Amino acid sequence: MYFIKNKILIVVGLMLTMVFSCKDLDELNINPNGPDPEDTDPYLLMATVLSGAGTSVVNLGYGDLAGVMQHTQKDGWGGSHNSYEWTSSSQGWNGYYRILGNNQDMFLKSEALGYEFAMGVGLVMKSYVFGLITDLYGDAPYSEALLGDDDAYREPKFDRQQDILNGIFADLETANTLLSKSVSEYNYINKTQDIIYEGSPSKWRKFANSLALRYYMRLSVKDPGTAQTGIAKIVGDPTTYPIITSANDDANMDYVGANSSNSWPKNYVFDTGGGSDFRRVKMCATLVDAMKLLNDPRLDQWAARVEIPIEVNEDENSTDEITDGIRYVSRNLVDDYEADFGIPLNTSTDFVGMPPAALQTPSAFNMSPDLNQASTNPHVSWVNAQFTEASGDNLKARLITAAEVNFILAEAALNGWIGNAEEYYNAGIQASFEAWGIGDEYDDYMTETGVAYDATQAQIINQKWISSWAHAAESWFDYRRTGLPDLQTGQWVKRDAIPVKFYYPLDEEFYNQSNAEAAIANLEKTTFNGADPQNSAWSKPWIIQGTGKPW
Amino acid sequence: MKQKYIFQQKVNPLFTLVTLGLMIAFSLSVQAGDNLDKSISGKVTSSVDGEGIPGVNVVIKGVQEGTITDIEGNYSLSVADETAVLVFSFVGYNAQEVVVGNRSVVDVKMTENVEQLNEVVVTALGIKREERSLGFSVGRVDGAEANRVAQDNVLNSLSGKVAGVTINQTGGAGSSVSMVIRGASSLSTDNQPLFVVDGVPITNGLNNVAEFGSQNNVDYGNAISDINPDNIESITVLKGPSAAALYGTRAGNGVVLITTKTAAKGDKAKVSFSSNTVFDVPFKFLKTQKKFATGYFSYTPDNFGPGEFPVVTPAEAAGAGMELDRGYYAIQWDSPRDANGNQIPTELVSHPNNVKDFVQTGINTTNSVAVSGSNEIINYRIGYTNMRSRGLIPNADLLKDNFSLNSSIKANKSLTISSTINAGRTWSNNRPNTGNRGSNPLEAAYKIPQNLDINDFKNYWAPGQEGVQQYAPENYNNPYFLANEVKNGFSRDRIIGNVKADLKITEDLSLMGRYSVDYYTEVRETKISPSYTREPNNGAYGLANSSNLEKNIDFLLTYTKDLGDFGLVVSGGGNSRYTKGKYLSNSSGSGNGLIVPNVYSVSNISSGALSFNSSLSERVIYSVYGIANLSYKNFIYLDLTARNDWSSTLRANERSYYYPSTSLSLLLDEAFDLGGNVDMLKLRGGWAKVGNDTSPYNLNAVYNNGGQWGDATMLTYSTTRLLPNLRPETATSWEAGVEAKFLGNRLRLEGTYYTLDNVDQVLQISTPGSSKYTANNINAGLIQSSGWELMLGGTPLKNNDWSWDVSMNLSRNRTKIIELAEGVEFYEFWSEAKSRARTYVGETIGDIYDAKMVVVEDPNSPYYQYPIIGGGDSEWQAIQSADTRNKVGNFNPDFILGMQSTLAWKNFSLSMTLDWRKGGQYQSQTYRYSTEDASSQIWLDNAINPNGLEGAELSAWLKENEDQYIRNGFHIVGGLTKETGGLPENFSGKVVNDGYFIPGVVQTAGADTPNDFEDDVYVENLGESGTLVLPYIVSYPWDFGAPSLFDADFIKLRELSIGYRLPTTFTNKLKIQSANVSVYTRNVIIWTKGKNGIDPERAFQNNSSRFVQGVERYNVEPWVFPIGVKLNLTF
Repeated sequence: MYFIKNKILIVVGLMLTMVFSCKDLDELNINPNGPDPEDTDPYLLMATVLSGAGTSVVNLGYGDLAGVMQHTQKDGWGGSHNSYEWTSSSQGWNGYYRILGNNQDMFLKSEALGYEFAMGVGLVMKSYVFGLITDLYGDAPYSEALLGDDDAYREPKFDRQQDILNGIFADLETANTLLSKSVSEYNYINKTQDIIYEGSPSKWRKFANSLALRYYMRLSVKDPGTAQTGIAKIVGDPTTYPIITSANDDANMDYVGANSSNSWPKNYVFDTGGGSDFRRVKMCATLVDAMKLLNDPRLDQWAARVEIPIEVNEDENSTDEITDGIRYVSRNLVDDYEADFGIPLNTSTDFVGMPPAALQTPSAFNMSPDLNQASTNPHVSWVNAQFTEASGDNLKARLITAAEVNFILAEAALNGWIGNAEEYYNAGIQASFEAWGIGDEYDDYMTETGVAYDATQAQIINQKWISSWAHAAESWFDYRRTGLPDLQTGQWVKRDAIPVKFYYPLDEEFYNQSNAEAAIANLEKTTFNGADPQNSAWSKPWIIQGTGKPW
Repeated sequence: MKQKYIFQQKVNPLFTLVTLGLMIAFSLSVQAGDNLDKSISGKVTSSVDGEGIPGVNVVIKGVQEGTITDIEGNYSLSVADETAVLVFSFVGYNAQEVVVGNRSVVDVKMTENVEQLNEVVVTALGIKREERSLGFSVGRVDGAEANRVAQDNVLNSLSGKVAGVTINQTGGAGSSVSMVIRGASSLSTDNQPLFVVDGVPITNGLNNVAEFGSQNNVDYGNAISDINPDNIESITVLKGPSAAALYGTRAGNGVVLITTKTAAKGDKAKVSFSSNTVFDVPFKFLKTQKKFATGYFSYTPDNFGPGEFPVVTPAEAAGAGMELDRGYYAIQWDSPRDANGNQIPTELVSHPNNVKDFVQTGINTTNSVAVSGSNEIINYRIGYTNMRSRGLIPNADLLKDNFSLNSSIKANKSLTISSTINAGRTWSNNRPNTGNRGSNPLEAAYKIPQNLDINDFKNYWAPGQEGVQQYAPENYNNPYFLANEVKNGFSRDRIIGNVKADLKITEDLSLMGRYSVDYYTEVRETKISPSYTREPNNGAYGLANSSNLEKNIDFLLTYTKDLGDFGLVVSGGGNSRYTKGKYLSNSSGSGNGLIVPNVYSVSNISSGALSFNSSLSERVIYSVYGIANLSYKNFIYLDLTARNDWSSTLRANERSYYYPSTSLSLLLDEAFDLGGNVDMLKLRGGWAKVGNDTSPYNLNAVYNNGGQWGDATMLTYSTTRLLPNLRPETATSWEAGVEAKFLGNRLRLEGTYYTLDNVDQVLQISTPGSSKYTANNINAGLIQSSGWELMLGGTPLKNNDWSWDVSMNLSRNRTKIIELAEGVEFYEFWSEAKSRARTYVGETIGDIYDAKMVVVEDPNSPYYQYPIIGGGDSEWQAIQSADTRNKVGNFNPDFILGMQSTLAWKNFSLSMTLDWRKGGQYQSQTYRYSTEDASSQIWLDNAINPNGLEGAELSAWLKENEDQYIRNGFHIVGGLTKETGGLPENFSGKVVNDGYFIPGVVQTAGADTPNDFEDDVYVENLGESGTLVLPYIVSYPWDFGAPSLFDADFIKLRELSIGYRLPTTFTNKLKIQSANVSVYTRNVIIWTKGKNGIDPERAFQNNSSRFVQGVERYNVEPWVFPIGVKLNLTF
């Protein structure tokens, strides 16, 4: 009896255990570790998009493109900075498409919810980032991009550059409408998430139209008709098309400085490499000399004065010593240096720039005592110490500025498309001074030789190039369009010309092969391609094909 | 709270388990007895040597009463009357039944049963089977063998012992140990087998590497190391899916069944004690050069004017400076200062033993005590083990405490309840970073310039700056500082246990029910003091807490029937498996630092700098399964199994998956008369399928939190596109084998061939980022493994005094990717040091590709295949590995050979295990970095120095030997000093003899038309004037992987042990049942083909998120020669 009871008990007990412990298997597989995209406030993606775009602009323009545009040089690990040693695995675009993916999510959800402000911001940012992609690479996935949730679009086709630009113009037109209401007319604006304009539709509207100006001017040589019409339309109707004219309206993003990922790049504060990222970057002679020529006070904002100037001691032989902060070197040692490296010693006492790609071992520049890659060379100008901070008043990502807009208008006016070029030129310089917090030095600067407007494109572009410090991407695109400023390549470069685009990324060649190959076939080979196939930083994209620019 | 969760909430599984376990333990004192009146005594002896056999079961038939023999073999008991029948039984002997009759003394001689020895193996679900009946290959290692030498991780003791099993210890004591059976066949997982301890499946992810602080990767060791080797009775390795099909999902990589010790049947209460201590004496180090001071140029005093002294500064972080031990003087980093504060030049002297002085002898001590006993009703074993280990690196340790309780109680004739509980803590006060750069103390020790004495760094704080600034040159880390002030502590508490009921319902029908739990919680805490160079803000702090629970409920109903010639065993069962993982982490993000130095608390991290994370993961699988074993006349055995799983990780319509297996064993010796010398001849074969689900939450993506931008939140979508309708993966395998035993079991052979097809793997394929996703999850592909295993064993010698057993196993596995997703050409495992481990469709897993050197491609040129020197730096030019298919190696071995030998003479025994891995290559990042900074002796030794030849003579000589010195590989001509062939080169007016050149050509025309050779013009770079001479410091070809690719072949003496069993005459006097003492060594590297001081086994390292084969990165603990002593006592 007992046994049987026992058995039944155990069997029943086991079955009950199994049954009671049964769980709903579907419910169990709902991920508890993050919000479901279906019901998440789209504004929570906005800061991701804006910070992504902001940091990208600085990373490009304060990074290798500052090297290309000869704002800076590196004296360690400088191959891609000084010498354009790029390949198809150097510059990927996945980061930009990731920004666009978040932006698309934000836009589509906002559209469904009727959040017109966020939709407007979404269209501006879509134009901004697609614009950047086509500026950097040329033809690119656009109409079929970001549709990878559908297997049919896992490998998107590339659109021609003019089609992307037309899409941008159309989107910015829509954004201009979406952003035309007053704040109270929008059903939902989350100010905190707008880390550029704190939820101001009117400022975003100016951003939209200013961005359109940027891309119309991009076509000034390739398609001057469109450029002229577009710019004239905007400038001619400031009520419908307000633009950024004052530095107060600059599309700036402040760095937070709380941790390494929201801080100004290459700062000292969070550098786990002991500051070497910052130290490797030195001022380039091209910018330093151009600014010294104009007695430009901005140079003191951007560059550090040379720590230990050098004086040549003509009388001594084989002596080399530092006295009272000056290094005295005998002539014979200077001769050795100049013979070894083929460049003259720079004995300036204020700013010493490093000539572009002039040395095989740039850490040896100007008789440096320190040959390390993260060189502490005291005989060259470093970047100004304010850029070692994690955040600061001047440490902003500047997505588009009044300076840029005014220089665009100056150029348009010079072409005879709109009003007074000189006013725009002066306003551009003034906006730049104000943006860097030295507006009070503007008047003096305008009296310097070579600063007053001389009605040349070279002068306008030169000032635009200077004002693009830490944001050199824009001046690279200007250079490509105009061949200005007239930069010379150094001796130790991959090819003897300034590159005009990034290589298409290897990822696309691997994983989107036929579409990438078709786009590459549309590039125009040049004499500087060297051993590169058509996919080269020296192949011309559509926007400069047939323009005879930049070289 | 929903209804269905109630059971789960109300009953704490641990509580249940512990309570039940304790109940069983307390009932140990319960004894049963009856009144019986006739006394019998006697002695049981062995027919072999006439000695008494202790521990023999003596049972009165039909009464279930009895006793066991004592140490001399004597027994006494009482029986009811003369008709009583005594049954004598003992493992390894034939059981005997004896009628008592009118005797009062019943002596018995027992005969050995050779066949029975070692025949029963534990197979899936804990079912015990005769090995002869199995249609698949199993590997077995018994506890004594696994525990012969002390190991911090039980897996290490399997090295070389089981055919087809690869064990990789990835670092020093306490680091992760990988076990791969029959080769890696899954591209997306770590290929670890399922471990089952006494029926409890336990968690053993390989990847337990984590990092708090910048470049501070720490391997906390995988959780299998919580298993106490001292508790192990036996280990069974079920290799193919056919053996393991019943375990389902996780069994695709094989199953390791671990059975822990229980009291032997009839053991009187006994106490056993063992103590084991091993000293790891470091003896071999990296081949770094010890002759040159830090610096970029190898100046001599001639380069300096009178009274002028060179400055030798660690800021020039390279080993190409002035020659040491030549009586040269220089201003050195540690030169004393004169009254004016100017440094006084000191002699440049080498310190060749810096790293040797830094490391210490590792010591590992393990002590165990266990009490066990059994009678007809209860059986128990209670054990405690502790391990204390100090590492080779100062301040590194690993400690373990482990309790175990193994008990069973026979509640009545048909019900047995048993329980196993293993509870323990593994912890460390500091686990150093041993596998990367950054906080790795060994890397720092190797980096101390050869002209400085490491002993001067022992006081690791700068004087007067204790707790603020370490004593080290700028940008250097003091190795003692890293060892003492970068502290990575952890502790893991774990309980593994089960309660099981076996019920015999009728003679033929039995039911087993079991509830089992594996739960652990791990706390990690890292404290980094201020001035670690990669943490600029007051150091760093991190605290993480994780827990893992796996709960299984299973039952099995078994029906056994003997139908004359036919035998039948049919079982059916079910399993419910629930797993839950939790993780919580708070730390100062990399480089973000602390508010106030030396305060290690989460609240000392500013909110913007705090990096935080938590996650939860749950999974359930329900299964039902059936097994049928059919046999005919002990000669054909057929097994059939079937299992169906329902997994929570898949969508409802894909959730259920079914997989069967079958195997057949044919015993030819039973079927035919093969003569007396053939003890067994078996053919076997099996086929099986195993299904596999995916990980939890792998169907629909959620937004990730990308941190804050000020007050703004940054959510972001996941760039991996998940697939909501994933299907289960399937592995299908075949295996066939033969087993034979001859000459009274003295010659044993076994051979197996297998194939395994892995279909529909859940893979991540790369997609163009422009599609929104950089990776897509897919179900695709066919990965095919095949291989063979051979085992040859013998007992060449066996007599009264001597016995010698030797066995050898040999295995080879090859895995190919037959198919991937459409349009996907290859799968990339890693990309390191300019090499990429890629496997293209149709090729073998493990191939390594490197950049291709630019050489003269014109077959008509006299310089055909000469390197073309050029580029920005006048060195070898590279075509990146991504743009070319330049195969340079493969990370998998050709074959693995293990050999074991045990020689016994009287009470002495000598055992050894050898492990030979043949073939394969690995990429050494250590060598790459240390050669780039000119501290490698190997690179220096390889520089060509043709006895002072110069100019045209040198050029002619090189061309004569062009195949050796110009083509094929990376060669440099030159050296670091004039005597060693260094060429003069001019640096800013100083002529230094540390120049080298690359033998090759410079192309002066035609480079832009690679396919047109007509216009190509080359200039020789072979030593005549115009040759590009560069300083030695830039001689390493950084753009290539091949120069730091080494052969991975090695031979290791895994174990060598001499044991002595004290004679019973002696132990009896001490009232000890048995006593053994042994001395041993283990894991001694005998030979490596790479000859670079690196253990090729360590080229198996964590690479961002998973372990990869074929990469070594500062995982360079010195080779050790361990000396161990072990003592076993049983009372």
